[in-house]
Amino acid sequence: MAQCVQSVHEFIQDSFVPMVAVLCSEDAEKVTRKNNLNFSELLRPFCRLTSEGHMRDPNNQVQVVKNLRISVNNVVTRPSVPASGTPSLAQRLLLSEVVSTCQPAEGGVANVITAGDYDLNISDRSLKASVPWYRDWRDTLTELSTSKHYTATTPWFEAYRETFLQSMPAADHEFLNHYLACLLVVSSSEAVPVEKFLKLSQEQHRIQHSGEYTNPKWFIPNTLKYYVLLHDMSQGDEHRADSVYEDMKQRYGAQGCYLLKVNSRTAAAGADEQIPDPWSQYLHKSSLQSQPNSFLHPTANGSLVNSLDSTHPLQLDTSGDTPGSLDALRAVAVETKAGTAAAAAASHGACLTLNDHDRIRQFIQEFTFRGLLPHIEKNIRQLNDQLVSRKGLSRSLFSATKKWFGGGKVPEKSIAELKNTSGLLYPPEAPELQIRKMADLCFLVQHYELAYSCYHTAKKDFLSDQAMLYAAGALEMAAVSAFLQGGAPRPYPAHYMDTAIQTYRDVCKNMHLAERCALLSAEILKSQAKFSDAATLLIKMTSEDCDLRSALLLEQAAHCFINMRNPMVRKFAFHMILAGHRFSKAGQKRHALRCYCQAMQVYKGKGWSLAEDHINFTIGRQSFTLRQPENAVSAFRHILTNESQQASSQQAAFLREYLYVYKNVTGVCDVALPQLPLPYINSSATRVYFGHERRLAEGEKQAATHVSLDQEFDRDLAAMWRDLEEQVVASANRGVVPATFQATQCCLNSQTDNLRFPLAVVEEPIIVEVVFRNPLKVPLVLSDVSLLWKFTLKDFSRPQDATKQSDDIIATEVIPEFFLNPEETKVARLKLLPHQTGQLNILGLVYNLASTPSTGGTTVSSSAALKSDVRGRQDLEIQGPRLNQTKEEKTSVSHGPDRRLDPTITPPMPLLEVFFLQFPTALLCGEIRKAYVEFCNVSGVPLCGLRVVSTHPDFFTFGSSSLATPLTPLSPTSFENCSAYKTLATPPGATPGSVAAVTLVSAGDFGLGEGGSGTSNGVAEIPLEDRVLKPGQSTQLPLWLRGPDHEGVHEINFLFYYESAVKGGKISHRVLRHTVFICASRSLCVRATACRSNTLPEEEAEEEDERRNGSMLVFVDVENINTNEAGVREFHIAQVSSSSKQWRLHRCINPAEDKGMLTNIRGGKHVSCDCQASYCSNSVPLCLFSPLVAPQIISSTTPCADFFFRRCPPSDSRRPPVAVETQGRLSRSQGAGPGGGAEDLTSLVRKCNEVDLDIIVLWKAFVVEDNKQVILEGQLHVALQTIGKEACSLTQKEEAQEMVLLKFKPELPPPMTRPSMEQLSHLIKTNLHYPESYRHPFIHKSLCLVPVTLTLSNCSLAQVDVIIDLRHKTTSPESLEVHGSFTWLGQTQYKLQLRAQEVMRVPLRACFLHAGVYNLGTPRVFAKLADQGAMCETSQQTATPALIIIINDT
Amino acid sequence: MAVCIAVIAKENYPLYIRSVPTQNELKFHYTVHTSLDVVEEKISAVGKAMADQRELYLGLLYPTEDYKVYGYVTNSKVKFVIVVDSSNTSLRDNEIRSMFRKLHNSFTDVMCNPFYNPGDTIQSKAFDGMVSAMMVQAS
Repeated sequence: MAQCVQSVHEFIQDSFVPMVAVLCSEDAEKVTRKNNLNFSELLRPFCRLTSEGHMRDPNNQVQVVKNLRISVNNVVTRPSVPASGTPSLAQRLLLSEVVSTCQPAEGGVANVITAGDYDLNISDRSLKASVPWYRDWRDTLTELSTSKHYTATTPWFEAYRETFLQSMPAADHEFLNHYLACLLVVSSSEAVPVEKFLKLSQEQHRIQHSGEYTNPKWFIPNTLKYYVLLHDMSQGDEHRADSVYEDMKQRYGAQGCYLLKVNSRTAAAGADEQIPDPWSQYLHKSSLQSQPNSFLHPTANGSLVNSLDSTHPLQLDTSGDTPGSLDALRAVAVETKAGTAAAAAASHGACLTLNDHDRIRQFIQEFTFRGLLPHIEKNIRQLNDQLVSRKGLSRSLFSATKKWFGGGKVPEKSIAELKNTSGLLYPPEAPELQIRKMADLCFLVQHYELAYSCYHTAKKDFLSDQAMLYAAGALEMAAVSAFLQGGAPRPYPAHYMDTAIQTYRDVCKNMHLAERCALLSAEILKSQAKFSDAATLLIKMTSEDCDLRSALLLEQAAHCFINMRNPMVRKFAFHMILAGHRFSKAGQKRHALRCYCQAMQVYKGKGWSLAEDHINFTIGRQSFTLRQPENAVSAFRHILTNESQQASSQQAAFLREYLYVYKNVTGVCDVALPQLPLPYINSSATRVYFGHERRLAEGEKQAATHVSLDQEFDRDLAAMWRDLEEQVVASANRGVVPATFQATQCCLNSQTDNLRFPLAVVEEPIIVEVVFRNPLKVPLVLSDVSLLWKFTLKDFSRPQDATKQSDDIIATEVIPEFFLNPEETKVARLKLLPHQTGQLNILGLVYNLASTPSTGGTTVSSSAALKSDVRGRQDLEIQGPRLNQTKEEKTSVSHGPDRRLDPTITPPMPLLEVFFLQFPTALLCGEIRKAYVEFCNVSGVPLCGLRVVSTHPDFFTFGSSSLATPLTPLSPTSFENCSAYKTLATPPGATPGSVAAVTLVSAGDFGLGEGGSGTSNGVAEIPLEDRVLKPGQSTQLPLWLRGPDHEGVHEINFLFYYESAVKGGKISHRVLRHTVFICASRSLCVRATACRSNTLPEEEAEEEDERRNGSMLVFVDVENINTNEAGVREFHIAQVSSSSKQWRLHRCINPAEDKGMLTNIRGGKHVSCDCQASYCSNSVPLCLFSPLVAPQIISSTTPCADFFFRRCPPSDSRRPPVAVETQGRLSRSQGAGPGGGAEDLTSLVRKCNEVDLDIIVLWKAFVVEDNKQVILEGQLHVALQTIGKEACSLTQKEEAQEMVLLKFKPELPPPMTRPSMEQLSHLIKTNLHYPESYRHPFIHKSLCLVPVTLTLSNCSLAQVDVIIDLRHKTTSPESLEVHGSFTWLGQTQYKLQLRAQEVMRVPLRACFLHAGVYNLGTPRVFAKLADQGAMCETSQQTATPALIIIINDT
Repeated sequence: MAVCIAVIAKENYPLYIRSVPTQNELKFHYTVHTSLDVVEEKISAVGKAMADQRELYLGLLYPTEDYKVYGYVTNSKVKFVIVVDSSNTSLRDNEIRSMFRKLHNSFTDVMCNPFYNPGDTIQSKAFDGMVSAMMVQAS
């Protein structure tokens, strides 16, 4: 509970003090008026007695009276409040006024109460005595009085309470605030003071006894009259006053009169003397009370305001509420009228010296101790005697009362009558009231013990009479006096209070008394730390009829909750809200706001969003009405920023209110645009794009896709592009990537590397994509959205900030209107176009915020925007990624910078646009298509160093510029009927299958690096004329495409690289990306096998002796696997070409081919085309192109050769070894031996089986497209590597599909394997030469001798030992039978040595005995490598059966 | 049956709160929030020694003019609060107890959901359905 300045005891004592009336003559009034005070006011600061008084109780015991205070008031004869008990309107106004003027001190010491997990900042006094028990109250009091902060914790409550208790009307059922005595004051300047005294005395008598006045009420019939002669020292004759006083003493006795000398200070003397002004704190309130009309306007509410004319509060009694209200207010006013008339400027007590103060103090003391206390003592004694005598039983009151009630006295009135009227009224002098009177007297002089017993007795008495009002009063006071009894002989009877309150409220319907009772009781309970009970009591007292009281009591109850041993924070908060509500109903806006703010602390951030919103809303409203618009705005902003669970209508209301308030705020001050809470901006999702927005298609032109904001960021793709860029940069810098290389980032988002300042080019737009989210269930309209930026010119030496939106530096695009539907997330793209170089910082956004009516029509937008929109900004602050490198960064949470929004504007750079013409989307596998590409420099700076890199370098070619061939068809329109291939002008159609022209081409001619390393990175320079593209210039180049070898959809990425022709810019190069998707469908499958031919063609042997060894059969099998595409009619094989360093296709030996040039292959069919290849050696590593079948096409030029060289290189690149081998073979005559010692056996053996022959199959496909037959062309490559092994154009696909095992250890080199038997059996090729038939006259000669030549040729490059065994094997019976008929003559076993590739002929002779058919293929040849001694000979592949016919020539 | 059912986290923020839609939602929020004081008082009143075998059901927290507020605390200090109409005399202690038990079971199911992040507001449909079943019975 809020702490009070007064202790409980003091508070209660001060609530009930002896009342003294004052009757003043006019002259005396004049005397006091000099001090701006009337007489009672003059006395008021001195009314508390500092010394102890003594009196005797009826039992003659001495009773000490401590710290007594008396209350001195002028006699007011009008009743203040009717006895009905409902507070009058005037009183309400007064109380309301008191409360509203009493506000918490601004900037007071914060009082933080820690309750559970809450830290509450209660902005009241921190000087909080945590133990408000009796023994401490003095200390607390002294502390407080010495302290400068003489305000209490809830001073408004105390002020209210004080005023309330003071304005309590005197009631009939109790005597506590009846006047005990009357001071009759006459000035000494009066002509005949004694007469005046007499007059006043008569007046007093008349007031008390004539019955004209019900007010004021007098305690005892013979009121103590105390005669005071007031002497003005400054003007009166002191002697005369003394003599008059002497006279008075004679007349009234020394104890009944007093001479008070005041105004001893002269006006001239006192200016410099500083006199304390003890009146101010007493009169402060009353002066306020006297002018309520000046305060009523802001505070009074409802109908009251309307009825209030500004003239005078006394005229406002229009409602006819209570007839007494007028007078009551006047009573208050009159009381202080004197003081206020001139009080505005002058201080009080100006004519009084300190001596005068002491005199007054002494006067009060004299009056109290000599006059009042003896008077009370006498009266108590008298009453006691009266009671005792009336009962006539005992001198002891206590025993007497017991017997009295024990006897069961029958009340004088009939029972029935009493029961009917609960508001029973005893006549003033009724004997039942005497005991109450006595109790009150005892109470006033602090004789609480006696008072308690009297009250207790009276209570029983009244109860038995069913006089409920009286009984309740007795109960209340009994409880209070029980509490005030020192030493606590009995516990505080709380239930007395409860009963009293209940009775007052329910039976007597007197809320006034009930409230007083509750206030007392609550204070007592609090002092006993029974906060829970106090809270309950206070809450019970709240009612509908009086908002102010309810509010104050609820607030006190809330404080009770938080002061409990286990603080009930939430109850505190809740009751604070209730109190705030009541305050606001009572028109106490300031208090209401304070209550809500305090409650807010509990609800804030705990997830109770509905409640929080409600509080915030109320705070916002109250703040606004109190002209604190900033607070209002922030409160409303809270409602809108928090994730709201409110209904949409509620949200719309919040938003409207917010916008309205906001508008008023900005109307007042427009220094800087305030931050708007709505809509949310997901700042980390902001993307920044540098460059123009591209149009993807322009007529038939198709622009490079590049990067656009529509694309999602893909980490893999970004890495791929980075790799490509690195490759192309490396190739542009002669193979070295510069250390400063940074991949170009055109679009920055949260996943890109934003550590560096991005570079933007002047005159190229910067597009910022901002993600808005509308958290509300109502639509929002943003208008005039634009970016806010700061720009620092780099050109000037001094930094020049230009935050203003000046379009000559940076053009800012404004989005006129931007709708956000309820709970929608939407992106807005805002563009900036820098016109100068420098450093740009994008700070945030400015926009107008408006809400549309929830009806949500589209037409209302403009009108709604006009109605309520506010301009504000929101900053874009992007937090960088969390740092996680060092240990410090790992242990703490720190974030790196994010410079997405801080681009550096650099001087102009070239800008390339690439367009593709006739670019296909679908291709057959291996199909060749010609397209055109157009390069366009759209900037003002020349461009050079144009390169392109792709993920699929085998997909496209620009053709080879180094060849002298002119770049044919210049205009793409003439393309339609042209073949992509170049054909011979005069086809040599006459001799199909004949030896075709052989062309030598090197790979270097096709833009590829020497030795195959250049092919791997796929960077191609684009053959521009002059190598420079001038500003605005555009050039068109042909582009050949070849469908990928594998079917499916292929993503093909191009990266165009270019540099500025003007070097030294901040940006070294720029890139342009392009991605195409090509759908490849199956076309043909080519399988090829190579076989060694056994027979050596004679003609060749004749022509070139060296080539005896080199003959091979190549079987090419073409299958149409395009089964599923209906459009493709058939394929024709147009040409078969070979490419090899050593082999060439020689002639077609397939008889079917002789008939026509083209072979039709329908779906699913096979066609085989078998060719003979012959060996030819050439000294340079060039490729031989030997077209075959229908040699119409120059396969050695663009594009055929381009694609051939760009094909994916086979898995094991054999080219360099081939070159070495060639060299070795050429030098074999020098006897160095092929390969030397370094050559290992396996490769040596393997090599003899290798061929290096690529077959290129050129085909045509007839496709029906839109009822038109289109001829498509294409080429497929097959690489033959090993003799006897089938190679397929599609093999690589299967390989690629195999799962690659993850390997964590470096792979060990495969162990040296011995060459297999299979391989070793191919070392030597054998051939038998003999006549096919031989005629022999067996009659003439029985033995027929036939010469046979056995040709042995060494296929390998090593020396081979050969053993020839001519003996027939006798083991098998079959051979016996067959071979028995002929025999070899001469040497049957030869041991030979063949050098590398040597051919040796061994002459043999066969001897036949009979005519017949014989198989000569019996010689067995064993071979072994010469230097491998340990190895045994391997049987060589047996030749095919060599049959000879021996004819008997007769 | 119930007019408002709330699940409050250990840290006293609402995990779930639902009231009869036609009535003043805000009022129930305040009511439930304020009742937490009583819950805390009741928990602390039991004392630490008895905390283990404490009865989860706290009984009537406090009556207001229109409603009765009942409380229940799980062992993990998650609080359940059920507000019922004062006029509804058919509800005895036993019925309230069984309602709480059902609520607790359903809450346990929610917690068992591996995709539920403890501390988040409950958005389970099953839980919602169970709660509405308890509320519908009244009307």
